[in-house]
Amino acid sequence: MSMTTGGGGSYSSDINVTPMIDILLVLLIIFMVIVPVTPKGLDALVPQPPKDKQQQNPTDRTIVVQVLREGGKVPSYKINETDVYNGVGGPAAQKELQARLTEIYANRAERIMFVKGDDNLDFHYIAEVIDIGRAANVDHIGLMTPKIMAGE
Amino acid sequence: MGIAVRNEGTKVNSNINVTPMVDVMLVLLIIFMVITPMLQNKVQINMAQVDNPTAMPDADKEDAIVVAITRSGDVFIGQNKTAISELGVQVREKLADKPGKTIYIRADARAQYRAVEDAIDAVRTAGVEDVGLLTQKREGNLSGGE
Repeated sequence: MSMTTGGGGSYSSDINVTPMIDILLVLLIIFMVIVPVTPKGLDALVPQPPKDKQQQNPTDRTIVVQVLREGGKVPSYKINETDVYNGVGGPAAQKELQARLTEIYANRAERIMFVKGDDNLDFHYIAEVIDIGRAANVDHIGLMTPKIMAGE
Repeated sequence: MGIAVRNEGTKVNSNINVTPMVDVMLVLLIIFMVITPMLQNKVQINMAQVDNPTAMPDADKEDAIVVAITRSGDVFIGQNKTAISELGVQVREKLADKPGKTIYIRADARAQYRAVEDAIDAVRTAGVEDVGLLTQKREGNLSGGE
């Protein structure tokens, strides 16, 4: 009988892999769930309107990108008062906007840009413009709202 | 001898093997501990997809102030629905102890920009200068949002 117990010892010398695989799979699933949740986003500033109306900054170096909706489904873009792209817009206009912004900010120390969007646009168009600004190495992006323009 | 062997066999089989059950229970416990907080503090929103987002790990912290704007223009602060007119007051209350904090805005990609502007104005009047617009990183090489 004691000899058979020795046989039992050789029986248990195999590692029982099944529960180990169970636990490893569960850990895998947990990490698959956790990793994509790290939130990402675009940093933006909200400028406060000037308290003193007289004390306005010189505007010739300020860049305001306007996102306009003019009938069509895709918006058109303006840098200050200049149209960016003559055409239907879409990806080509976005590329052109990025090229222009990169050119403008290529040799500038203060990289500040303002974004002003039409009220009835979808939010993702504005997010795309902020994204283009980031791609053009703009450090600070300010969001202009109609109330800020009105000085409220 | 034969009777003794039989008795031994019934004794061994009568015990439930608890160890694997406990294993599975602990694993389930861990899974639910991990998943429940994720399900709790999120309003269902399709975020805009962009190419160059920065990581904002603070937006997942418990004390982060997240303003969510749904496609239909409803505004949520944290998980509670609120009116746009009360958003400023509520944010100001939450910011009372730590001014200068970043407010995170989770806006739906197809929400009207006007709703986002209103929310930004509301938090601006509460003294916020820095907002984080939460987005998703675009996967693949698709251009243009849908």
